Amino acid sequence: MPKLKLELQVNGRKVSREAEPHQRLLDFLRDDLNLTGTKEGCGAGECGTCSVFVDGKLVKSCLMPVAKAAGTSVQTIEGLAAPGDLTPVQKAFHKTGASQCGYCIPGMVMAATSALRENPNAGIEEIKERLGGNICRCTGYTKIFEAVEMARDVIAGEMPAAVLEEDAVGESFIGANVRRLDAPSKVSGRLKYAADMKMPDMLQMQVLRSPHAHARIMSIDTSAAEAMDGVACVITSADVPGKDGFGVFVHDQPTMATGKVRYVGEAVAAVAAEDLLIARRAVAAIKVEYEPLPGIFFAEDARKPGAPVLHDYAPDNLVKHIPIRKGNVEAGFAQADIILEDDFSTQQVEHGYLEPEAGIAYVDADDVVVVISPSQNISHHRHMLAEIIDKPINKVRFIMSPVGGGFGGKEDMIYQGMLAICAMKTHRPVQLNFTREESIIASAKRHPSKVHYKLGLKKDGRITAIEFSMLSDGGAYGMSSEGVMRKAAILSCGPYEVDNLKIDTVAVYTNNTPSGAFRTFGGMQAQFATESMMDMAAEALGMDPFAIRRVNMMKVGSRTHTQQELTTASLDRVLDAAEKASRWESGPPTVRGPARKDMNGPDTRKPCTLGARFETATPGPTEAEKVA
Amino acid sequence: MLTCDTYHMPASLTEALSLWATAPEGSRLVSGGTDILPWAREGRAGDVHLPELIDVTRIPELSGHTIANRRVYLGANTVYQDFLTNPELRKALPCMPYCAIWFADDQIREQATLAGNLVNASPVADGTPAVVALNGEIELARLDNGKVVRRILPVIEFIEGPGKTKIAPHEIVTSVILDAADGYGGSFQKVGLRRSLVISVACCAALVRTDPAGRVFESVRLALGGVGPRPIRLTQVEAALVGQKVSRAVIKDIATQAADAVASRSRQDYRRDVVVNFVRAALEEALANQPGGTVNFQDGEELAHA
Repeated sequence: MPKLKLELQVNGRKVSREAEPHQRLLDFLRDDLNLTGTKEGCGAGECGTCSVFVDGKLVKSCLMPVAKAAGTSVQTIEGLAAPGDLTPVQKAFHKTGASQCGYCIPGMVMAATSALRENPNAGIEEIKERLGGNICRCTGYTKIFEAVEMARDVIAGEMPAAVLEEDAVGESFIGANVRRLDAPSKVSGRLKYAADMKMPDMLQMQVLRSPHAHARIMSIDTSAAEAMDGVACVITSADVPGKDGFGVFVHDQPTMATGKVRYVGEAVAAVAAEDLLIARRAVAAIKVEYEPLPGIFFAEDARKPGAPVLHDYAPDNLVKHIPIRKGNVEAGFAQADIILEDDFSTQQVEHGYLEPEAGIAYVDADDVVVVISPSQNISHHRHMLAEIIDKPINKVRFIMSPVGGGFGGKEDMIYQGMLAICAMKTHRPVQLNFTREESIIASAKRHPSKVHYKLGLKKDGRITAIEFSMLSDGGAYGMSSEGVMRKAAILSCGPYEVDNLKIDTVAVYTNNTPSGAFRTFGGMQAQFATESMMDMAAEALGMDPFAIRRVNMMKVGSRTHTQQELTTASLDRVLDAAEKASRWESGPPTVRGPARKDMNGPDTRKPCTLGARFETATPGPTEAEKVA
Repeated sequence: MLTCDTYHMPASLTEALSLWATAPEGSRLVSGGTDILPWAREGRAGDVHLPELIDVTRIPELSGHTIANRRVYLGANTVYQDFLTNPELRKALPCMPYCAIWFADDQIREQATLAGNLVNASPVADGTPAVVALNGEIELARLDNGKVVRRILPVIEFIEGPGKTKIAPHEIVTSVILDAADGYGGSFQKVGLRRSLVISVACCAALVRTDPAGRVFESVRLALGGVGPRPIRLTQVEAALVGQKVSRAVIKDIATQAADAVASRSRQDYRRDVVVNFVRAALEEALANQPGGTVNFQDGEELAHA
């Protein structure tokens, strides 16, 4: 391949380099110039973590072949401010707390800077539009927009620069606006996430994944991959030195598929090679023969007689059943004036953190196997990996790199074992950076659930009994399912005091993508059913929805579903605050006229539109250089 | 992941055409690059290796625009953001800013070209209906015995179906030629899953000009995208409106005729509903956007001021 000869300006300095013809500007900045403040969140132009200025225009560097940057002037997040300094935009992000995991933040700062360069007077709607190409998952857009408006006003001289400084803290930190300690590292792009780290002599790893939901592995032929120039090692389950298996509760998942694959995207083999391209080509050269097996794709089918069995240890495909019993439900329903029954289902959800999974493993001089990754559970990973690689625990070390968003999705050890084995086989540092597609296909999801609900009530709204039955699709491996079922059972019937309960939460194995930890850990699925039932009960009884909740709410002295006596309770205050803030028009849901007084108030979110910039005068590009 | 043996950046049209004429089979032209890079990823084409990529964006002949004889000649390197930032283009192409604001996002619009959007020939390309409403033509060039030969085709004929156009081997798009529609009000309607970075489920572009009093439709242009394999110009609806008084009742009545234009294979009922509402909204918004005048709805409703 003829190399490209590139001359360009990067952050004000002349750069003359050769580059591969297929490199994107993003690759060139990150791999060749070590400007890792520019991130790769999706590689497809969707997320904005890679935004950079090229000749003053903000672009997505993952969509720009590097040849297009020849002769241009590129500015990255690292070039916005002098070393050790921050621009007003960066300071405003620091001040308002507009950085949580921080992975989207360099891109957000770039988009905010661009918005204010294009129109220093941009209003909030125009700011939102101009940041429309950048996605955040955990900071929340409110603080980001607050920061952009603050920066705009400071730059325009309408607010003193002092507002960017930390507020004074009085006698207590409680109630004070304290800036995050790690925010400067995030708003400047200096914080190194796992994919940003480099070690001398480091290999790149890629993973071969199953195209089948359920299939027996007849053979794996790695010879062509092994023979390729630049390939350092190819591993399969046969290379696992110890007792394989990981999982948060049950260690049912092998480091790489062993004997059979159980979901589309399951790791089957991995390659460590001198560079990413060789590793990808070597993965494509591995030949696997599969014999497809019948699969289970709906949780309801998992426990039918004759259903395919995923795991030998669980012939009934049961991951976990959590039952809770309190009082006597038959007696409770017998006392009821009205019994409501309904079904609720929720779908699989991807966490969508901006940082795709990434990690590095190496073996240090004392033979300690070290894994650096944004794991949400490093102590547990360390214990599991010690068994898998057959090392004493003091020869296994996990380092938690900054987590660019997790939400539970990084609790499972889905790739760290492969990294460790490659590092042990090669005695070289090995890095794996997931693509966005790989992250979506291989990582655990929120449990899809089906709840059957039976609710008995007196005419005054008092609940006499609840029968709550949840069936969750655990996917191919156990992961966090057991914990999710526990939490779903504990929270199932909501913050309401119910004397007679029969609760069952069940997770089963299917050949779908494994379900795992996800914010609320089963609570959301349960509350969707419970709160919907409460509203339907209010309607059936002609009661105000707040009133029916107040009749049943847990108070001090109440016993929870799991028989804990409460010494504090706040639901009364929560309901009061929600009622007031929503300007709730009291009464049963069915009695309102066509025009509700509590709708469309001054603080109601308006429908989405685009084109705020058409309302203002044509922006003057000549003004651009004044700011940020 | 997209890889290639050679990435060319020709500095003239002749150089580009001669590279393109001799490029090995499977080579591709690159304009903005915002579609070809995501294309070579898992779920679409996967890893792709191409022999040569020929990038046309450094060719001076394909840059800039001219306006002459009530036609706008856009160089093939015109990017979507130009329709928002260039005052001349905003004035002459009144539906394009509304189309551009819904196209991808500010950053992708800085790279993505209108010509590239047309050549990709996606049935849901945002640019196609707007171009069709502007009586768009596409200019193609090739080398014939060392000489640049050009031909011009109407865009509505150029696009034959999803991903299929009349572009011939060794041809490069050099220009998109549109009506200068000064004085028209323009609008663009789109449904997708969110505001930014979303591909249309369906879209609609409109251009409307009334008499100076704002009472009678003098000229109407309507085009649909995403409701069939090819872009659709609603010529019958247009003809039915010309000479009619400007009224909401007339718009509502005529919009229902547009439903029959839906030829998509999926979600037909939904698309029929969308199209009727699109045409109504597109006409009403285009009227409201008509520069420098008042629109007088003739059915006794409120006045809309531009």
